[in-house]
Amino acid sequence: MNTVLRLLTLSLAVFASGMVYAVSDEEIQKSFYPYNGWTPTADGYEPGAVVNQSNVEKYKAILDEALYEFVKNGWVEVQTAATTDFPLSDDYVNATKQHSDGVSLNANGTLNGYVAGRAFPQEPDANDPDAGQKMVWNYQYGFNSGDSESIEPFWWTYRDMKTGKTERVLKFSWHFMNYNHRVTFDPKPEFDNNPAEIFRGIYTKVLEPFDLKDTQLLIHRYQDDTKRDDGWLYLGFQRRVRRLATGQITDAFLGSDLMIEDFEGYNGRVSDYNWTYAGTRNLLLPFYNHNEQNLSADPADDQEGYRFVDVHGKGNCFPNVTYQLRKTYTLEGTPKDPNHPIGKRVINLDSQTMTMASLVTYDKKGDLWKWFPIGKTHSSNHIDRNKGKGVALDDYAVLVDVQAMHCTTLQFKSIITDDVNQPGLFSVQNLRKSGR
Amino acid sequence: MNNITNNLYRLLLASLFLVGISSNAFAWKSKDGKWVAHGYIENSSHGRNHTGVSRSRSRGQLEWSRSIGTVGIFRNVSMHGTLRGSYDAAYELNDNNFGDNAGGPVRLQQQFFPAGVPGFGGPLAAGFTAGSVAWGGGLALFNSGGIGGAANPNDGLALLGADLHGGTGTGVGLAYPVRPCDTDSRGCIDGYMDADKQELISPEFNDRADVIREAYIDATIPLNGGKEINFRVGRQQVVWGRTDLFRVLDIVNPVDFSAQNIYEELEDARIPMGILNMEYRAGGGKTFEDLNFQLLWKFEQARPHTLGQGGSTYSILQAGNFFRAMGTCWQVGCTVGNFAVGAGATDFGPGQIGIRRANTPDWDIEDNDIGARVEGVYKGVGFSLNTMYYNSHLPSLRGGITSTDAFTGATGVFPHALAFDIDFPRIFMFGGSADFYVEKIKSAFRIEAAWTTGEEFADTSTSRLFDDSDVMRYVIGWDRPTFIPFLNKNRAFLLSGQLFGQHILNHNLTTGPTGLNVGMVDWKDNWIGTFLIQGFYKNDTVLPRVITAYDVRAQAGTVAPQVEWLVSNNWKITFGANLKFGHGARMFDDNRSAVPYGTLAALTPAPGVGGSTGLGGFEPLGRFRSGPIGMAQAEDEVQISLRYRF
Repeated sequence: MNTVLRLLTLSLAVFASGMVYAVSDEEIQKSFYPYNGWTPTADGYEPGAVVNQSNVEKYKAILDEALYEFVKNGWVEVQTAATTDFPLSDDYVNATKQHSDGVSLNANGTLNGYVAGRAFPQEPDANDPDAGQKMVWNYQYGFNSGDSESIEPFWWTYRDMKTGKTERVLKFSWHFMNYNHRVTFDPKPEFDNNPAEIFRGIYTKVLEPFDLKDTQLLIHRYQDDTKRDDGWLYLGFQRRVRRLATGQITDAFLGSDLMIEDFEGYNGRVSDYNWTYAGTRNLLLPFYNHNEQNLSADPADDQEGYRFVDVHGKGNCFPNVTYQLRKTYTLEGTPKDPNHPIGKRVINLDSQTMTMASLVTYDKKGDLWKWFPIGKTHSSNHIDRNKGKGVALDDYAVLVDVQAMHCTTLQFKSIITDDVNQPGLFSVQNLRKSGR
Repeated sequence: MNNITNNLYRLLLASLFLVGISSNAFAWKSKDGKWVAHGYIENSSHGRNHTGVSRSRSRGQLEWSRSIGTVGIFRNVSMHGTLRGSYDAAYELNDNNFGDNAGGPVRLQQQFFPAGVPGFGGPLAAGFTAGSVAWGGGLALFNSGGIGGAANPNDGLALLGADLHGGTGTGVGLAYPVRPCDTDSRGCIDGYMDADKQELISPEFNDRADVIREAYIDATIPLNGGKEINFRVGRQQVVWGRTDLFRVLDIVNPVDFSAQNIYEELEDARIPMGILNMEYRAGGGKTFEDLNFQLLWKFEQARPHTLGQGGSTYSILQAGNFFRAMGTCWQVGCTVGNFAVGAGATDFGPGQIGIRRANTPDWDIEDNDIGARVEGVYKGVGFSLNTMYYNSHLPSLRGGITSTDAFTGATGVFPHALAFDIDFPRIFMFGGSADFYVEKIKSAFRIEAAWTTGEEFADTSTSRLFDDSDVMRYVIGWDRPTFIPFLNKNRAFLLSGQLFGQHILNHNLTTGPTGLNVGMVDWKDNWIGTFLIQGFYKNDTVLPRVITAYDVRAQAGTVAPQVEWLVSNNWKITFGANLKFGHGARMFDDNRSAVPYGTLAALTPAPGVGGSTGLGGFEPLGRFRSGPIGMAQAEDEVQISLRYRF
């Protein structure tokens, strides 16, 4: 009887603290290694198939809604290849094993007890009303760019989709660093002396064109998800740092097709949206081995011989890469702000890496507005410096504005490194020091 | 120098042609990536109502950097530089207004000259009637015979403030030479406002080698825990503060207002100085998210703002015109309208009234400018505390110098005499700034405040006609990106407003015997509001904006619409206008009622030697009440510029 009482008490305590759930090894294995002994399939689909305007209906179920429309319109053909494993770093997996048991949701949707790793490695349950909220946290604290990533060169090309004309090329260096929840780079799990409790720093500097050269952007995202990011902009022509009004994150960034809220797929507060889990399906995602693709001639001067993923299709708005069939979670987000210009974000998350493979955005009327795939290569199929890092590397992205018939392609070289990504780089003073 | 600027002009034109036939010029980088160079060439042309072309400036700028790496204990050592040269053809194309042929004969007003004024030697000479007199045709005081003669002709002159008040009214009238100093040296002030034509056309090719706009070395000494000491040594811009358009804390570098009054981008208008700039980056700690300490030592010889000399295309407050008028009076004598007895045009001989010289700061280690700043972030609020001890960038007209009695020719220091030196007093400033974001209204705020001691102001109630005062300046700025869907549904407009305030703590303004104000001309309290709306179209390649500014006390405003079109990554065209509205000239006590000489006291009914009783007009002090916006009311402009960056 005492044992029963103790169990009952323990269970009540567990419920009271927000449904802490013991994660089994099997769940960990299934979450991080879904292709260990299993390969996703679809009726009539074989790897190597070319999906085009003539056969798109046959593959409709394995294309996201936007890509289906584009292929149907004849804007692009999709080359496919066999599904490959994208194993994440053992450090991240081990952190999940170690800490996920203690993670739960607070009443306001924020995380309780999160330290590092994947917060909710369990298979999502369509009957769980919190499944979407849990999934967005897995995405938010995913291993998208490891603890620390530098991207340079990073070319943003503005393209007229109708004519294929290149309107403008912006060149950046870009840096991301987590202040806490770190699993691979020291200090782990977090930096000392972080009184503001910053979760993540984002720093970028514009190298070209001349009118924007030396513009720098710094964003601090806080551990407290309900707290708005802080942002600062260094304007080369003013030679001073300007505090940003960061609340307006639906503004197009530097005239591109990306809202600030679009960075990395979703760059807002989790609490700004209502999130729902919209099912699991096998989709063709732009996951590939970078070194096996037909690459661009740019950047011609890279000292490691690195070349960007090339573009093709209508307006040169599409990545010329192979897609593979992968287990995908679909996450839908609807903004809480009634004045938000977006009606719905549909994020297709790769289940193994919990990275965003594609984002389909609808306007307030429910019409297709934007498509934002992020091409992934495994770090072991990239430059030597990335080998062994266990990251599904961001390798290419494009934001297609269907309504404006315009796109911004993002071609870049990701490096998983902490060489320069230290707190000093993500400080306001660094903007001044680096300013010209 | 003439050859240099002509060659530069040709080079610019040739470069414009060459790049014009190429659409893909980019920055140059050496094979090892250590040298990088880029720059621009530009033509900027302004047309002004009434006077025509006010700028036709071709400019080339080359920016370069050299990465060096590690040198001893220093890391990230690098060198950077900016070379700049300009050629403003306005002085050639519009030389009737701004060049060798500018100006002409003038007539100074006299309201009347009462017959039989005691002491003026009997019957009035012909011409002393209501109306006006030619230069040199006023009441002749001691040694004033040369006015209007060969050495001081009635030519190449303009009436001070005539564009605002027509040179009429009941106040004193002054005239100033308008031609470059190599054509007409009258009123040019050595070492301060003495530019010849080539220096006006190509201001970078001057004695201070401004063609080397910036040249500095960066180096870092890394310390434990991510801390570091950064050095930047050389000619550079150091920007303090968080404001746009006007400055409160941004006082480290002087500004070239002759480029375009207050309307030139500060990045282009600041005058870089040789500075040792040292920063200790403590970084984040247990209390502060970021904390840094900065020390500045300005080792280059101090220099003031360039205000624009008399006759140049831009002259803030028309102060340069005023100074040149006063310099002329001192050097060769001048005719002053409506002066004697408050109404008669009067000829003053040399050394009696005017500006004797400018005492620009010498290089002296004790007089170097030094500054310090603590800057950081605390609970998401960016903050700074700033202090600086420096030579004023603004001139102070200090009376009380030795001058000549205009009646007797005796020399001495005469209280209330209109005889000045220009000085640049030492000023101590302490201030601070902060910025923060307010989520509820999606707005960022910027605030600054600065307290100074040692600033000097014109004060007609004192015997030396100036006084010092502590001054408090402050500003609050508001920025909000705001969607205006019917104008642009995808891109927010930047709305930005600022309110600047100035409070003169020891303000002195009294009512004189005539019932009019006497004392400090500057307003005790004044405010200037600014508002910017900036739009972004065509993927930020078409950028319309409107900037407005309004001076509350002067009741004068300006509105500057502009459209910037980035034709390509290299080419940019800018169309704009600068239109003024509101009040122009304002009046203030002009000290003509003061009685500086004992001889004059004996001749007039005035109660002995004494200060101003408050008789006033537009000139010369009303400009300090009109402010830079009010004093440019007649300078509406349309503007176009074409820039090619490479």
